[in-house]
Amino acid sequence: SAVGELGRLAVELLRRGAAPRAYEAAARKLNIGVDTIQHGVEGLTYLLTESSKLMISEVDFQDSIHVLGFSDELNKLLLHLYLDNRKEIRSILSELAPKLPSYHSLEWRLDVQLASRSLRQQIKPAVTIKLHLNQNEDQTAQVLQTDPSTLLHLIQQLEQALGEMKTNHCRRIVRNMK
Amino acid sequence: MELSAYAQGGWRLLGDPRRFPRRSYAALLRAAFRSLLDHPRAGLGKANSFILDDPDLKDIDPTVLKHCHAAAATCILEAGKQKADISAISTCLEDCKLDKERIEQFCTEYQKNKDALEILLGSIGRSPLHITDVSWRLEYQIKSNQLHKTYQPSYLVTLNVENSDSGSHPDVSFSCTMEQLQDLVGKLKDAAKSLERATQM
Repeated sequence: SAVGELGRLAVELLRRGAAPRAYEAAARKLNIGVDTIQHGVEGLTYLLTESSKLMISEVDFQDSIHVLGFSDELNKLLLHLYLDNRKEIRSILSELAPKLPSYHSLEWRLDVQLASRSLRQQIKPAVTIKLHLNQNEDQTAQVLQTDPSTLLHLIQQLEQALGEMKTNHCRRIVRNMK
Repeated sequence: MELSAYAQGGWRLLGDPRRFPRRSYAALLRAAFRSLLDHPRAGLGKANSFILDDPDLKDIDPTVLKHCHAAAATCILEAGKQKADISAISTCLEDCKLDKERIEQFCTEYQKNKDALEILLGSIGRSPLHITDVSWRLEYQIKSNQLHKTYQPSYLVTLNVENSDSGSHPDVSFSCTMEQLQDLVGKLKDAAKSLERATQM
């Protein structure tokens, strides 16, 4: 049960960062020193992070912790801790990789320009687009415009891009990478 | 269609066969149209070369030339802006005491250049960044130093954009997953469909 408590703290550490008061509460509850708690949590965190990063199999995980000489019950507990939290930990780790602004969403609007200061009686269609991007927790919005023929060109180009993953070449690579 | 007093004054000079014999009048009209349409961003500096280089104009007083060139350019731009028809232009020039032949010469020259003029005038003005092209890159992510075995396709899309004033502008780049790109393309196709429906109305 002590390990269970430490496991919970370890996952919370990964999710939200250190929480010294939680350590103190756990230390009191389990009747262990705060330092011991902290070392335990950090050790568990390292174990979970490394295992999730490498995406090691159940067997490999069990082999790895076997050297620590824990009881079978404890080993099973640790394995479950790993498998239950692996997906979430990997998702947290993926946030750390170098990133460009990423697509969030897009709004569009059709406009027809009817006149300007320099030219009256126009009929000039345009598509106005608001592109929402995410960059490091901030969301930016950019207003862009294009004309109908460029819009069709953009659609054609990007549909080609989408189609690429279905080609034999890409399929072969994906198969062989795994 | 109305011209300012200054422009009307210039046209009256242009209509005077003693100051502007036939060839000189035709030459000035040519110079006026060329200076506006051939180098739209160069401004009046370039206009001078059109006028000074023409042998049919070298005998005319430079102040008069400047006045008349301004008058001609003003009339051309005003007619273009208002999308004036021949009768409106003719009436305007008649008020400046131009004879029928000279009016006809101007109108013929104007008709020839009307489309180019419209394009030029339509391109002046502010607008949001204009997308001119798109490039994309498909990559398959294998691992990062933080996370191994990611195995995910990822797209990098770059929109080439232009500023209406200065011409160039840094491109807009972003990454997206396949689902996000599908969302993007889906929305663009909705816009295109709406556009098609609107043009059929």
